[in-house]
Amino acid sequence: MKVLVAMSGGVDSSVAAGLLLEAGHDVVGATLKLWGGASDSGCCSVADVDDARRVAQTLGIDHHVFNYSEEFERHVVAPFVAGHLAGASPNPCIECNRHIKFDLLFDRATRLGFDAVATGHHAQVERRNGRHLLVRGADDQKDQSYVLGYLREEQLAMLLLPIGHLKKTDVRVEAERLGLRTWDKPDSQDVCFIEASKGREVFLRQRATLTTATIVDAVTGEELGTSHAAELMTVGQRRGVVPGRDGERRYVSRVDLAAGRVEVGRLDDILISAVALDASSLSFTHAALEDGASVLAQCSAHGRAQAATLRHDGRWWLEFAAPSRPVAPGQSVVLYRVDDPTVVEGAAIVSRT
Amino acid sequence: MTQYYFDHAASAPRRDEVTDAMAPWQRGVVGNPSGSHRAARDARRAVEEARDEVAAFVGAKPGGVIFTAGGTESCHLAIAGVTNRHRRTHEHSEIVISRVEHHAVTDAAEMMARDFENVTVRYVEVDADGVVDLDSLSDVVSSRSALVSVMAVNNETGVRQPLDGVNAIAKSSVPGGVATHTDAVAAAPWLSLPVVTATTDLISICAHKLGGPVNSGALIVRNEVPFDAVTPGGGQERGRRGGTVDVAAAVGLAVALRLTERDRADVYDRVFDYQHKLSAALSFLPGCVITAPAAVRVPGTVHVTFAGLASDEVLFLLDQAGVCASAAASCSSGAAVPSHVLAAMGVDVERARGSLRLSMGAETTEADVDALIAILSSVVFRLRDEVAVAPGLKD
Repeated sequence: MKVLVAMSGGVDSSVAAGLLLEAGHDVVGATLKLWGGASDSGCCSVADVDDARRVAQTLGIDHHVFNYSEEFERHVVAPFVAGHLAGASPNPCIECNRHIKFDLLFDRATRLGFDAVATGHHAQVERRNGRHLLVRGADDQKDQSYVLGYLREEQLAMLLLPIGHLKKTDVRVEAERLGLRTWDKPDSQDVCFIEASKGREVFLRQRATLTTATIVDAVTGEELGTSHAAELMTVGQRRGVVPGRDGERRYVSRVDLAAGRVEVGRLDDILISAVALDASSLSFTHAALEDGASVLAQCSAHGRAQAATLRHDGRWWLEFAAPSRPVAPGQSVVLYRVDDPTVVEGAAIVSRT
Repeated sequence: MTQYYFDHAASAPRRDEVTDAMAPWQRGVVGNPSGSHRAARDARRAVEEARDEVAAFVGAKPGGVIFTAGGTESCHLAIAGVTNRHRRTHEHSEIVISRVEHHAVTDAAEMMARDFENVTVRYVEVDADGVVDLDSLSDVVSSRSALVSVMAVNNETGVRQPLDGVNAIAKSSVPGGVATHTDAVAAAPWLSLPVVTATTDLISICAHKLGGPVNSGALIVRNEVPFDAVTPGGGQERGRRGGTVDVAAAVGLAVALRLTERDRADVYDRVFDYQHKLSAALSFLPGCVITAPAAVRVPGTVHVTFAGLASDEVLFLLDQAGVCASAAASCSSGAAVPSHVLAAMGVDVERARGSLRLSMGAETTEADVDALIAILSSVVFRLRDEVAVAPGLKD
């Protein structure tokens, strides 16, 4: 097969390319140039492009750089900023995968004559009963099926995930065996266009004026302090929230940017039983699930999946079997099968109400 | 696979005569030209002979030739060197450059403005062909101007600039006149520099666009323009560029210039015909627009834009079929980026995304051009979902 491998310059995609080559495929590497601004993490610096190019040279495959920086700004960065300003917590990695890697890059690969696209994500595509399934990566610490949750059958049919069956430590062993310079490169953890040393707040301040809000204890009505970047307060968040006068931990329960007010409460008070889903974002790997379908819902990249029921009564929503930590609007919920908790069934973005 | 090389404007094929002439200066004892013993004297002689050739090529005195490590350093030395001297003796220093300069010039000017409070960059507008607007230049040149820098030929589009007009304005607008610099890197393979740059004070050239080595170039100071060295250490090149002169690089530059001069008329006429053949053929492709077709251009470059296509994809398929070309504007990662030249010309962003520069030189043959036309046509039709199969393009 003729395969286009998206190479970030990291160890996972480097090994992905190497394994495909060993399997006898006709492999071409491509690095996506997504972000032109400052970055100290992720995969868009010139140094990372150089790493990817050097890996391609080592393997003896062609390598190209595709510039998607305009599209990245339009589909990922601008919505990320707009989402925060609207009080939501969007996941830019999910948007990048949806719009850049699995939309624009798939289209391009098809036009350029490739049979398949491969990435170095820790997840697996399995073919069972003539259907392509998206399955969690073998390394549960590194599983990335969550950020691929919106992939549909026809896309999975064209996707190869060559390292999904490996543990991360084994990926590094493979990289060393293949003689790749990236074998000991640290994992990227953070959003690629935000400098880890400066954080989201510094990034957002370059593009918008952030809201100063009073932090109010919903239990006692007392003012606990002030936030100078209320856009970064997410419901359910505990980090940065001072305890109440009673000494108990407080969690963000409500963010009202217009009123300049952030409410915090005790964990028991903020737990929720259901979340509303944005119908336009709803995506199913195969056929749509029906009202009353039992699922396992994972609400963040490294969160635990929890039992829930999908409801559809004109609107779509998710009813949790047990009280859940709140999920901020803009975040994605990825649905896994109850009878096979490693298999993805669909995904949706949490809406406001 | 047969290779069709259409990226001369990025780097021209190295000429065998250049490689042969450089060889003795790349093995064994190579004296330091600043020394006094016989090995040093041999090296010195080679450097000075090269200097004479460079001076003749540009139409300047040998004493005005400063060997550098290429076009970017030459441009930087001109901009930073002249501005640094100017700003020490003036309250304000303005660097006047066109909107379509190479980054060697724009980034040097922007760096000076960033580092020194009394330095400002003033941009001269261009018309839809990318030709400098002389009225805009007149508006910008003032008693604050330290230097006017306008390239002789644009590296992306091949469009010539009216240097005599530029220099006349620079010299006549202000008592005493303003110093002028031209980046003649893209002009050198095609135009006679003693004619084209006759009225210019400082001229930058480099070797690798002429079949010479990379990291080799010169800044030529035609008139006594005061400037400070950027790297004074060692005092070489009459205190204007410290550092041991690279004998092989200087020899390589001189030989490349000599061969260029020798073949200029023949190559010009031949490639001129190719330019017309290529332009005529490409103009029939759907969505293809030839850039600045009515402007005065050097023969080597055909720059086009394809509405609705992405340069990345066109270049990928060309590469698969053995054609080396570029989108002209790329960042250090190798990714195609929106061109500031096309933006200054008012080319809309969508069209600029589908830009392609096909650049030719002395080695280009008519058979190369014919193959390019067939392959590029097939690529364009394929990307437009139309059926066409051309030789060299396998599915």
